[in-house]
Amino acid sequence: MSAITSETARRRKVRAPYFLLIPAIAILLLGMGYPVVWQIVTSLQQYGLAQQFGKPAPFVGIDNYVELAGNADLWWVVLRSLLFCVVTAFLTLAIGSLLALLMAAVNKAARLILQIGLLLAWAMPVVAAMTVWIWLFDRRRGVVNYLLDMIPGVEMNRFDWLAQPSTFFIVASIIVIWMSVPFVAFSIYAGLTQVSDEVLEAAQLDGATGWQRFWFIIAPMIRPVIAIVLLLQLIWDLRVFTQITMLKDAGSKSGDFDLLGTYIYKLGTSSQDFGMASAVSILVLALTIALSWFYIRSLLKEDAQ
Amino acid sequence: MRFRKPLLSALAIVIALVWVFPVYWMVSSSFIPTIQLQSFIPTFFPAPATVSNYVGTVADGSFFTALGMSLAITLTVVFFCLIFAFLASVAISRFRFRGRTSFVIAVLVVQMLPAEGLFIAQYKMVSSVGLLDSVIGVSIIYIASVVPFTIWMLRGFVAGVPADLEEAAMVDGLSRFGAFMRITFPLLAPGLVASGVYAFLQAWNEFTVALVLLPSESAHTLPLWLRGFVQASATKETDWGQVMAASTLVAVPVIIFFLIVQGRLTSGLVSGAVKG
Amino acid sequence: MNRKFGVVAAATAALLVLGGCASTDTPAADEGGKDITLWLMGGDTPDTLRDYLKTEYAEATGGTLTIEQQDWADALSKLTTALPDAENTPDVVEIGNTWSPTFTNVGAFSDISDIHDELGGDKLLPSFVEVGKVDGANYAEPYYFGSRYIFYRKDIWAAAGLSVPTTLEEFNESVATLKAAGQSGFYIGGEDWRNGVSWIFANGGDLAKKDGDTWKSSLSDPKTIEGLEQLQSVFTDASLAPVTEADSTPWVNINNNAATGAPEAATIIAPGWAHWSIGDLAPDPKDATKTVATWNDDVFGVFVLPGVDGGAAPVFAGGSNIAISAASKNQSASKELLKIIFSKEYQTMLGENGLGPANLDYASALGDDQFATALIASAADSKLTPAAQGWAAVEGSGLLEEFFGKVNGGGDIEALAAEYDAKIDELING
Repeated sequence: MSAITSETARRRKVRAPYFLLIPAIAILLLGMGYPVVWQIVTSLQQYGLAQQFGKPAPFVGIDNYVELAGNADLWWVVLRSLLFCVVTAFLTLAIGSLLALLMAAVNKAARLILQIGLLLAWAMPVVAAMTVWIWLFDRRRGVVNYLLDMIPGVEMNRFDWLAQPSTFFIVASIIVIWMSVPFVAFSIYAGLTQVSDEVLEAAQLDGATGWQRFWFIIAPMIRPVIAIVLLLQLIWDLRVFTQITMLKDAGSKSGDFDLLGTYIYKLGTSSQDFGMASAVSILVLALTIALSWFYIRSLLKEDAQ
Repeated sequence: MRFRKPLLSALAIVIALVWVFPVYWMVSSSFIPTIQLQSFIPTFFPAPATVSNYVGTVADGSFFTALGMSLAITLTVVFFCLIFAFLASVAISRFRFRGRTSFVIAVLVVQMLPAEGLFIAQYKMVSSVGLLDSVIGVSIIYIASVVPFTIWMLRGFVAGVPADLEEAAMVDGLSRFGAFMRITFPLLAPGLVASGVYAFLQAWNEFTVALVLLPSESAHTLPLWLRGFVQASATKETDWGQVMAASTLVAVPVIIFFLIVQGRLTSGLVSGAVKG
Repeated sequence: MNRKFGVVAAATAALLVLGGCASTDTPAADEGGKDITLWLMGGDTPDTLRDYLKTEYAEATGGTLTIEQQDWADALSKLTTALPDAENTPDVVEIGNTWSPTFTNVGAFSDISDIHDELGGDKLLPSFVEVGKVDGANYAEPYYFGSRYIFYRKDIWAAAGLSVPTTLEEFNESVATLKAAGQSGFYIGGEDWRNGVSWIFANGGDLAKKDGDTWKSSLSDPKTIEGLEQLQSVFTDASLAPVTEADSTPWVNINNNAATGAPEAATIIAPGWAHWSIGDLAPDPKDATKTVATWNDDVFGVFVLPGVDGGAAPVFAGGSNIAISAASKNQSASKELLKIIFSKEYQTMLGENGLGPANLDYASALGDDQFATALIASAADSKLTPAAQGWAAVEGSGLLEEFFGKVNGGGDIEALAAEYDAKIDELING
């Protein structure tokens, strides 16, 4: 009797996860299945505007990939994007973590004020935020130049932040960090709240210092959250698009200011070489997988245990 | 050490003010007449304030149509995304089964594809089933793009809650399902809120997909509506006061949404679970 | 594993089926519908004209005309996805003249040679008709033309003792002397190729030339190089604009700066419609939150950019074409709309609103004030971008902005020209 019950119980247990997964798998196939396959297939074809209007798309195998491998401009864009992505993601994570710790350490009123401040920044529509930031950094009417110019010895009148790639990307980074930190701070803070107060109190009673409590109790508990958040920042910052596009609209159309997102858009929408744009997209996919390999590897290890 | 908390609190408030400055600038500018905004000297405080920018933006009623569209799509997306992702994250965190790792990696990889190149395929797909200009068409695409990330978020939170807590409750006589709902689910609340807010923002602010899938003006969402103000036409310059007013209008519902859910973000529920 | 294979197979099958659904080699069958949609680019067509079209169309056919405005910046993605889609394509669409060759060559538009004469035939602006033609058949017709000419500060030029230049060289020299601290003699952005190309055209050069059946980028052409050298000097000697700036809101620079009381520039080049925004700035009496610029003849003036040997320099012609989508199911209804657009009434209305009418017979509707005169004079010799199949891609790639930016930044013109000729050649033939 009990043998049969545990047998069916085990079988029922094994079927449950599959049922739980059905809605997610269904929506992913529905929403992403066709576009993803289309992207892969198109990257192997010569697909331009003519193909949109009915001409058949010649299959060219890996020609698009070979061409992009030899394209020096693309590799500069890749380099720039990687640099931008890594710097911005790590800065975002650092600042976000500090803010999360701050949130946990202060009284309720201050915490609420800080959270609402961050949320307002996060809630602001990207178009609106970019407009304001571009305005703030405007060479003639901008507040930043106006305020910096007031510092004696600093000559900032009409300094064009968007004229050089170096200052351009500093501005871009500041903006992206400003937009991304709230999410990181909230996520890490949410993770911090899961750390049991009792355990911390017990450790404190046992003589553990603040630093020890952080390093041995808190940090391990929020490691999964930090890993995910870092991963997501890397993925998103590598593909950043809207912010760069709007900064370029205010500044220069030159390719020296392109990152991967705008480069793909330029190839696809603007120059109508959709085959090549798809190939570069797949390249970005590969790059992102490479960047997140540390996480994927730990996943695979975890599973093997 | 006694001064630590007040000092940190003061620091938190200062940081909040600095962080919020661009938002302040947007709202303040929305109450300043455009003619003043165009001057080369920045205006830090709206005096005299005017609501003409707001009147100008909502005058033709297109704001309300766009608002309705955005609300319909966003609420649909948040609702289904949270349900689907929650179920999936439970599956991958609490069960071991064949194909689990493949699913997990597939979900991770699928969101790494840049979106800029996909719009043609998305258009073909949605238009072939006649779902252009509709809430459903766009929602499907949005849900699919937000679900992977949400699964990841929730997985982290579920993983952060030790299974021992559930085991302990089961020893006390609760079924597996009951233990989950009474113990683990409340601990996930902050994660659900964070994911919900993220999904809301993604759907609310999304532009590129909406541009091609909602071609008719009557089906525009708020970002498309807002874009119309930013574009200068050949014959007139952008009306910056209106842009700021429109932007503020687009941001307000999100803020309301958060204020509703923010209570859940802070949690004294942890102590509740252990004590109970 | 098996499940994954199945998924991929199903998706591929779906892809092939859907791919087949989208092809439009044959023109759509005319289903005789009467309700049509017109896509206009940007806000150039004023509301009064739009209302006129709607009323006239309803009277002529009994159907409804819906007008949807597209932003120039987003138009390409929408055109690319919507035009091939028979269910959702706009029926009639305004298309920028620089995009016309690309979309026409690719088969986006219907052959309307049968009504070409009825719409105006030989009276239509020839250069615009050309960019809408393939193998002798008309696809896209001119909609309106614009042009660009010089706006200058009479007060500043007079104070410097300068008079309106009659040759290009005089112009170049005059604006160089006018440059002062905080004020450009002539304001032109480094990446502004739409205005900068005037120097190339004026010296007989061109952006690209047709060699048999293929187009080749001609930046290295000696005449083009001469024009570029002149432009480089003008930028260095007369302009304080950033080297990364392209053309936009030029009038900001010639109106008085509220903070300093003086303008940023003594001279600008701008499209004709800019004159509405140039003048003495004051709050609008009807709405104090808006500024209104009232033209002041003592302070501001216009003249046409002079050519190398006098007369008018060829400038870049602004304006759009208009066409019927090949995938539209309402071909005859769309043709009715075109007939209304090319009617005497509508063409006159275009002129009265400062938009050069496609039918040159009605160009007098533009009026005879200094702006109309300048518009007509500068438009007469104006040139379009090369009518190459891949030109929209060249523009979209930003190569021209990059090239002009580097030239104006002081680079080696011949080396840059060779480099960019190669890059443009890859895209120009589609």
